Amino acid sequence: MVTATDTNLLTLAQWFSPAYPVGAFAYSHGLESVIEAGELISARDLDHWARILIDHGSGRSDALFLSAAYLAGTPEDIAEIDATARAFAPSRERLMETELMGAAFCRTTAALHGVALVDLTYPVAVGRAARLCDLPQETVATWFLHAFAANLVSAAIRAVPLGQTEGQGVLASLAPLCVAVARETLNGDLDALSGTALAADIASMTHETLYSRSFRT
Amino acid sequence: MRTSGSLRMLFPRTALRTTSVLLNTAGGITGGDRFTTSVRAQTGTGLTLTTQAAERAYRAQPGETGRQDTHLTVDDGAELFWLPQETILFEGSGFRRRLHVDLTGAASFLMVEALVFGRQAMGERLKDIRFDDRIEIRRDGRPLFLDALKLSGDVDGQMAEPARGAGAGAMATVVHIREDVELHLDALRRLVQDLSGRGLRAGVSLVRGGMLVLRALAPDSYVLRLALVPALELLARTEIPRPWKI
Repeated sequence: MVTATDTNLLTLAQWFSPAYPVGAFAYSHGLESVIEAGELISARDLDHWARILIDHGSGRSDALFLSAAYLAGTPEDIAEIDATARAFAPSRERLMETELMGAAFCRTTAALHGVALVDLTYPVAVGRAARLCDLPQETVATWFLHAFAANLVSAAIRAVPLGQTEGQGVLASLAPLCVAVARETLNGDLDALSGTALAADIASMTHETLYSRSFRT
Repeated sequence: MRTSGSLRMLFPRTALRTTSVLLNTAGGITGGDRFTTSVRAQTGTGLTLTTQAAERAYRAQPGETGRQDTHLTVDDGAELFWLPQETILFEGSGFRRRLHVDLTGAASFLMVEALVFGRQAMGERLKDIRFDDRIEIRRDGRPLFLDALKLSGDVDGQMAEPARGAGAGAMATVVHIREDVELHLDALRRLVQDLSGRGLRAGVSLVRGGMLVLRALAPDSYVLRLALVPALELLARTEIPRPWKI
């Protein structure tokens, strides 16, 4: 396995910083409708919803798409993986979220690193960019999942609202899960795809008709 | 058309469309069984496929898995409805199911897959099953819709979790691919909303142009049917096959 250098880690710190212009803060991934329904009111609830999403929902499937894209050999393979990622989106807003974040990531990263990246879904864009920039796969997947967890926590801190320290406590407790899921999905085997965060997927559908919305998803 | 083993296909007389009823004379699927169905709707035809009764995934021997593979092809200008009745997962079952759908051009397609977790009338709870389900729809060879569900072990406990089954005893996925499908979006949303008082938790989304997806979690198969029968009739713009209403 390639060991991450300090330069590698700083590249990842930049890609997954809230300042990197992918606009992650605008997406609650459906949590806003769960919060609106009164089903997520505490740090303990947040821990549950985030854990299920990372372990059994879009966290794990995105990690598979990321690794599949990292390991892919040809542009045709990347196109097929990307089309599969779009087809696997369970709702209109989830599709929009991965398309818009991915397109923004492609624009910035292509300009920054001089690599060829155009309009890929977010995990496929990150996986491909990591390969082209020669970053270590497992470290990238772990940071990607941690950024996903951090964004869910940040959305809940704002929307519930929860205390900053409470929210950060949830994020810290999710770190071992991010490490485990990144490791378990390293083969990028898309036959392993499975989505059983069913209530979370339905929440992303019902968010479309939420009366008052602070988030785009 | 050719069938073998315990699989039969019946063609009752109906008015406009051809309806075909699949019948498993064995009554269900157990470990080691293998069912394969391939159907093609050619340009200009309308075909509805359903099943005579709910499919039962029986207890399997340890390590044995029943398999069901279905391949549907819908040509440009054809319309196919895949409306099997629900599948009931028994405690101890091992079942692997694959549905591949190939659409060409402006083919229309409507499908439902409904799943019931255990024989609820007898209070059966799923503590040790293996279920592996995948639905892949392609248009002109490109992935359009993909759904994958792998459940194993204590499914009863997993379905009780708020972010997973939220207490559901049954679930369904409906996909409708047709150019003007957004016409039904508001009516479908009202329909599922009206059943929320009975414990139905459902979402309807126009995931992309010409493709509508409905996903529902229900306390039991009865409430699920209260939603599915009118939803499917709305989308099919016709009565759905009789076995659904018995």
